[in-house]
Amino acid sequence: MSLVSAEILKLVRRRGTMAWCAILTIGSVLIAYVILISLHAANPAHHGPAGGRENLKNLIFLLGGLANVAAILIGSAAGSQDVSSGVFRELVVTGRPRGTLFNVRLPGALAVLLPLVATGFGIAVLGAFALAGDRPHPTGSEIWHDAAYVLSITSVDVALAIGLAAFASSRVVVGVLIAWNAIVSHLLISITSLGGARKFIDVAAAQHFLPPGVNDRVIPMSGVTAVVILLVWAAVFQRAGRWWVLRRDA
Amino acid sequence: MRTADRARSLTFMESVIETKGLTKRFGERTAVDTVDLVVPAGVAFGFLGPNGAGKTTLIRTLLGLTRASGGEFSLLGLPQPAKRRQALARVGAIVEEPKFHPHLTGRENLKIVAAARDRAAAARIDDSLERVGLAHRADDRVKAYSLGMRQRLGIARCLIADPTLLILDEPMNGLDPAGILEMRHLIRAFVGEGRTVFLSSHLLDEVEKTCDRVAIVDQGRVILQGAVGEIGADGEPTLVVDVDDVAAAEGALAGETRISRIEAEAGRLRLSLADGLGAADVNRLLVQAGIAVSRLEPARATLEDTFLAVTSRLESNE
Repeated sequence: MSLVSAEILKLVRRRGTMAWCAILTIGSVLIAYVILISLHAANPAHHGPAGGRENLKNLIFLLGGLANVAAILIGSAAGSQDVSSGVFRELVVTGRPRGTLFNVRLPGALAVLLPLVATGFGIAVLGAFALAGDRPHPTGSEIWHDAAYVLSITSVDVALAIGLAAFASSRVVVGVLIAWNAIVSHLLISITSLGGARKFIDVAAAQHFLPPGVNDRVIPMSGVTAVVILLVWAAVFQRAGRWWVLRRDA
Repeated sequence: MRTADRARSLTFMESVIETKGLTKRFGERTAVDTVDLVVPAGVAFGFLGPNGAGKTTLIRTLLGLTRASGGEFSLLGLPQPAKRRQALARVGAIVEEPKFHPHLTGRENLKIVAAARDRAAAARIDDSLERVGLAHRADDRVKAYSLGMRQRLGIARCLIADPTLLILDEPMNGLDPAGILEMRHLIRAFVGEGRTVFLSSHLLDEVEKTCDRVAIVDQGRVILQGAVGEIGADGEPTLVVDVDDVAAAEGALAGETRISRIEAEAGRLRLSLADGLGAADVNRLLVQAGIAVSRLEPARATLEDTFLAVTSRLESNE
């Protein structure tokens, strides 16, 4: 077993966390479709078919927000579980460099999170075609935008949560990052006097990948800029977390 | 590594742990104070000291869990921290209470640590669990384990490294008498296989029964180190004398300058003898004073006597 496989094992055996993450990523999409199908069945004249490109846009916005919470849950667990259980000390005395022990957390967490997100995303896209009825299907470009948005927001938040969890308990990390993603970042984005500086907010950069028309407050920037900003956020938090793991007493 | 190979490699290694002036400070407080320690290969070495003496801090420093403030040290002949990875690959350690992921099974916890060790470590998991008597509970979650089972799982975790050196910090903690006996047998078996066991403990009796060599530590300083028998034999010879009249006997011996200390208890005197005074001399003095002597026996100085003597000496100097 590799160190990454060991990280995966530690995470997937957390039944509570995994159940919540499955509900947030897969369950949320299924529940949304059940509601849309029910509404359409109850009143077809007022509620259109559950699929199609418009419903997919809304579903992706929902999935992005909830998968983001799943990413924070998994990232905070991956970043804190060894220290909180006392096992970090046991790993350090094997002689493996602390940097290596930290570096495997991100791929381990992504290996657990991304299949869940991909499944939720796949169900959303499948439903958009299968349940479209007379509504227009999403285009390939729109699906690409949707995938990039969900992937970017979740992957970056996993990296942020892991880095932050080197300094604080998982509960604190979950609270801080959910508050940042759900409230603080959106408040900052809405302050127009901040002008172009708002593009440096990670949430604003991730929103660049949203399909047009989903969110009116998207800060204009190029795709390259958005990718660079997201990578810088991830790198800064990972670097900080690694720095502390190298220095702290185990 | 096979036992024969391990024993052969140990013959080329005089000491498995060697420290020179090792110091660890926490702010103003010095937890480990210029410690010079030599742990020879192939023995059970007791690191004995009262609670708070600095035993765990020294172990944490040796294992790289915390940085030394001064001095130098080597593990398995390899200078630390420069050759840390190579040395720790052949060291198994339990520091304080062994810790595990409670939501994983015993076997899964060993897999986690095996992943951080060499490729052969995973193949040793079953044997290690078998050896500590946990094979039948290996697939239970650790949160259902008793403290004694966790101690044994901690030993199994050490064994998956096939260690040349085992560092065990208070391994008897939380064990019942049968568990303590089992642990003692395990430690002696490890030594029999050519491994070295560095055992920290505040339990004098256990160290005396389990270890070949010992270092006594107090307030961060190593006060004494040597073979258990030699350290126990240090100090003045002691004589236990049972008499019919303790007060009269005390009076009769009071003038003898070669008796440095007389302790009286019910029907018995405990005498510290000096300058060649022997049991026959004491007997003669008592009989001449008309005191009936029913028992006269040299008392074996125990490690506990030495421990209490040296640690109290330290306190009285302050």
